[in-house]
Amino acid sequence: MINILISGILRGGMYVLIALGLALVYGVMGIPNFAHGEYYLFGAYATYFAFTAFGWPPSIAILFAAVVGFVLGALIEKITFSPLRKRNTGDWVTNAFMIGAGIQLIIQNGAQYIFSANYFGVEKLWDGNVKIGSFNVSYDRIIAFGIAMVTLAVFWLFLKKTKTGISILAVADDETGAMLMGVDIKKIHTLTYALSCMLAALAGGALISITPAYPTMGTAPNLAAWFTVILVGVGNLSAVIVGGFMVGLIEVASTYLVGAAWQNVISLSVIILILLFKPAGLFGRKQKV
Amino acid sequence: MEKFNGFYRKFSGPLSKVGLSPISLVAFILIGLFPFFSPNEYYTKLGVTCLIWGTLAMGFDFSVGYINVSNWGYAALMGMGAYLSALMNQYFGVSPWIGMLLGGIMAALLGLLIALLTMKMDAMFAALLAWFVGIVLQNIIAAVPDITRGAMGLNVTQLFSTPWAKPYFYVIFVICLITFCALRKIVDSRFGLSFRALGQDIEAAKAVGISPLKYRTINFVVSCFIAGIVGGFYGHYVGVLSPNVLGTKNVVQILVLAYIGGRGSIWGPLLASFIIMPVFEAMNSLVEIKYIIYGLLLIVSMIYFPGGLCKIPEKVKSLAADRKADKASHAAKA
Repeated sequence: MINILISGILRGGMYVLIALGLALVYGVMGIPNFAHGEYYLFGAYATYFAFTAFGWPPSIAILFAAVVGFVLGALIEKITFSPLRKRNTGDWVTNAFMIGAGIQLIIQNGAQYIFSANYFGVEKLWDGNVKIGSFNVSYDRIIAFGIAMVTLAVFWLFLKKTKTGISILAVADDETGAMLMGVDIKKIHTLTYALSCMLAALAGGALISITPAYPTMGTAPNLAAWFTVILVGVGNLSAVIVGGFMVGLIEVASTYLVGAAWQNVISLSVIILILLFKPAGLFGRKQKV
Repeated sequence: MEKFNGFYRKFSGPLSKVGLSPISLVAFILIGLFPFFSPNEYYTKLGVTCLIWGTLAMGFDFSVGYINVSNWGYAALMGMGAYLSALMNQYFGVSPWIGMLLGGIMAALLGLLIALLTMKMDAMFAALLAWFVGIVLQNIIAAVPDITRGAMGLNVTQLFSTPWAKPYFYVIFVICLITFCALRKIVDSRFGLSFRALGQDIEAAKAVGISPLKYRTINFVVSCFIAGIVGGFYGHYVGVLSPNVLGTKNVVQILVLAYIGGRGSIWGPLLASFIIMPVFEAMNSLVEIKYIIYGLLLIVSMIYFPGGLCKIPEKVKSLAADRKADKASHAAKA
């Protein structure tokens, strides 16, 4: 029981990081980012190469993953979503969803082309483990969780306390209003997208010793992040933190109870129940019906 | 020219009763005659591939182009039809022909479930739930190898005992033709107008009394039914099924055809299939490159050519009209 709780919370911490970026990009830019799991992949590959090929210390390697995520995110936003926003006709959400799918295809298959379908894993970043009850938790997991929590705290302060962060929230609230107040919408969009990619890449980097880097590694976190966002309600940032932990616990518990192959069936059942009884999500604002 | 126009009008009246136009009739006759001209078996098989994916893309377009719901479980619905038909045949000896129909009905029922859950909400929820359902179906099929042989691949009885592709070609040709006519008929009916209204502006459509839940569900279920039928055929044609058939990669393939062909035309995706599938079949050995190009095509067409192929005739017409107006104004000046 205790081990389910611990693994669930450790896993949930990472989901919070990933899902927060997804919710942020949807809230601010209206993009249901289907390629979100792919930035997790960027982080994993970046950390792997920084750690093994360049021989950098683990903390620098994970930081490097965050930087790579940020730069690539900004670049991708400039190349795809920014021109789409200028020329868009029809339904923006659907169109943006398709662009995300295109990005996902390119990154996934690009990774497979360059690195082939091999696993690039690191055995451990830090040595040693902690005993909690009868359950051993490696330092890697604890530190990864710590990184997630610290990042989350810093990010939250950034959103609430700095001028840029407040501008981001303002754009999410009311784009036209924010523009009239002199917020540079384009800059905020690029920054938001880049930050969201950075969070996902950081998670990918911190977990390199637990999930090795391989081309389709983004699918599972993408699924989990979407699960979280639907669970708590789309566009609800603070509830994502609770949702991430819930999804982590649900996944670990269902894997333990019914096995990994059926774990997604449980997740799907939860989603169907949510859509049936609380379509706006557990903590969501009322959905337009 | 005048004579030709009159001729065209004379035929288009009765043809439109079955959902065809003179141009599409000629196109279908040409496709139907293709096996007699195809130089060898390879090209006939290519024709079957084009028809399979073209029909799927038409069914997909029926949802995405009219009610603006992109069905991310489309490959899963198709794969479910394929597996259902194959398993019914293997365990209960059900004939593949009935199996195909059962596959369609089953896919339609699953579509009904997804639609009832999500069609009141934003289109994004339908896409996401269908995607989830697809992943779960894929997992379930892989998780019960005793029944489905999982990732090892299920051997499926073929529809015909001959190794030649010609009979298969005509089966899928008939399915494609019926699908085309039926979808065109629906699209031109009152239902089609309601679908279009919902796709363009859901609030405005609601204001004039069109129920989103009812019409979007009808549309979605029809679209899923097509996926199931074609899936049943696919299984009995290819002869081997694996859970990968249900994967997102196949959805993307259908999606690219529908977007390049142009949404909201039905004929655009079919045309796109005949243009794109042969090129990509030739690239089959370069799997990654093929999908990278799919991704690029999707992004570029979304940003720069959102109308797709089906908007080309309109563009040509408007260009011609502009030129005519120019000439007229010149003549007036002179």
